[in-house]
Amino acid sequence: MHHVLLERWSQRASPLHRRDARAKILALLVFLVVLATTPAGAGAILTTYAALLAAAILIARLPLSGIVSRSMVVLPFSLTFALISWLAGEPWRALALVEKSYLSTVAVLLVAGTTPLPLLLGGLERLGAPRLLVLVAQFLYRYLFVLSEQAQHMRLAAACRQGGATVRGRNGFRAASGALAVLFARSHERAEGVHRAMRARGFSGRFSLLHSQRFGARDGAFLLVVSAFLVLVRFG
Amino acid sequence: MTTPTNVPAPLIEVRNLYFQYGDGTQALEGVNFTLYPGETVALLGPNGSGKTTFVLQLNGVLSGEGSITVCGLPLTKETLTRVRAKIGMVFQDSDEQLFMPTVLDDVAFGPLNQGMGEREAIAKAKLALEQASLAQVWNKAPYHLSAGEKRRVALAGVLAMEPEILILDEPTTFLDPPAERNLLQLLRDLPQAKLIVTHNVRLAASLASRAVFFEKGKLVASGSVSEIAERFHWTYSDLAPADLRYSAQRRF
Repeated sequence: MHHVLLERWSQRASPLHRRDARAKILALLVFLVVLATTPAGAGAILTTYAALLAAAILIARLPLSGIVSRSMVVLPFSLTFALISWLAGEPWRALALVEKSYLSTVAVLLVAGTTPLPLLLGGLERLGAPRLLVLVAQFLYRYLFVLSEQAQHMRLAAACRQGGATVRGRNGFRAASGALAVLFARSHERAEGVHRAMRARGFSGRFSLLHSQRFGARDGAFLLVVSAFLVLVRFG
Repeated sequence: MTTPTNVPAPLIEVRNLYFQYGDGTQALEGVNFTLYPGETVALLGPNGSGKTTFVLQLNGVLSGEGSITVCGLPLTKETLTRVRAKIGMVFQDSDEQLFMPTVLDDVAFGPLNQGMGEREAIAKAKLALEQASLAQVWNKAPYHLSAGEKRRVALAGVLAMEPEILILDEPTTFLDPPAERNLLQLLRDLPQAKLIVTHNVRLAASLASRAVFFEKGKLVASGSVSEIAERFHWTYSDLAPADLRYSAQRRF
């Protein structure tokens, strides 16, 4: 059985977890916009944003260190661009680039860590995100686990037959490409099977999703307070 | 449960069904079959003999030549939606059937496709989950379930559509003995007529009132499960007490 850390986080209970997905997505959007428009060198504003995120992580009862370390995934990309800016003689811009991209990632992780993916996708759909895009994301998420399990089984089967030897170079490449081809063929077969199962249950091209969340007064108040605070910090 | 003698109107009537796959494989050749209310029929036969292809014809997922009537409705493009509402099909691979992000979403998929409103679909889905003794897993993701739970969720997904006929393709594959027992008990308690594709003669014997045998795309025999199993030597060799003793001595 697989567990994704983000998913485990999203199943916890906290005031942030209880907010409607739409309120969190819109608050995230406001955050990303004010962050992106914050001028380079505005250290105090960025520090306030960082403090706000840290407070939100604590309120959400998520592990601060876990989010801080996982957000570093963006650094290889942002550092590359920062280096280019630095070399071009714009050190403040380089610093802002790293800070902004890092804070954006923390904010995205915070929303994903406090909202189960089905609710997040439902929220996106209700906010007007293209349905096809949402469905593709939903299927990808559902079958990623099945695919990774198949890949693990194949790796295990390969390991059982290669004894203690490590297969590298040309042979390793051949084995990996063969495994990929099999995975692709199986995925295609599975897609046909899924489609068959969908048709058997009356699917005729229109997908109906359940929307279990309701946007309440507390969600509205949350969105309003967070947005007002962010705008105030940025322009106040 | 035996075949009724006063012959009520059949639930499924198949006449002269032929089907060929795109690659030229003749999968079904002149199949005739009738399913009556209250019956549970086991479909036995070797791998590749056309059993699954046959059941996929019954709700129009595949379509060949010949006539199929389901609950008095001739299967055509126009009647397809109504026919699919009457037949609930549980596939061999539960992962293919459970494609929605949560169990509740998945079980409500069929009712929503039947045009029900969200509230009604949720109520139907919850009822079906209770029927399958799965009320406690409604908000779980399918990949967090055991094989037995997945199979029962797949069954709940079709029960929510209130079908008159259940078709189950190898329902006990990958299940451990307790999960198999639970599933068998659940299936026994369901009032619908059932068609069960299986290799498992024990399962067939414990559920089915009749068995039919497929061979090379043809339905070659119909009779009681024991008759069919005996005639086609369709049994696993049982372990003799001597084998068990041998196995116990060899344990390491």
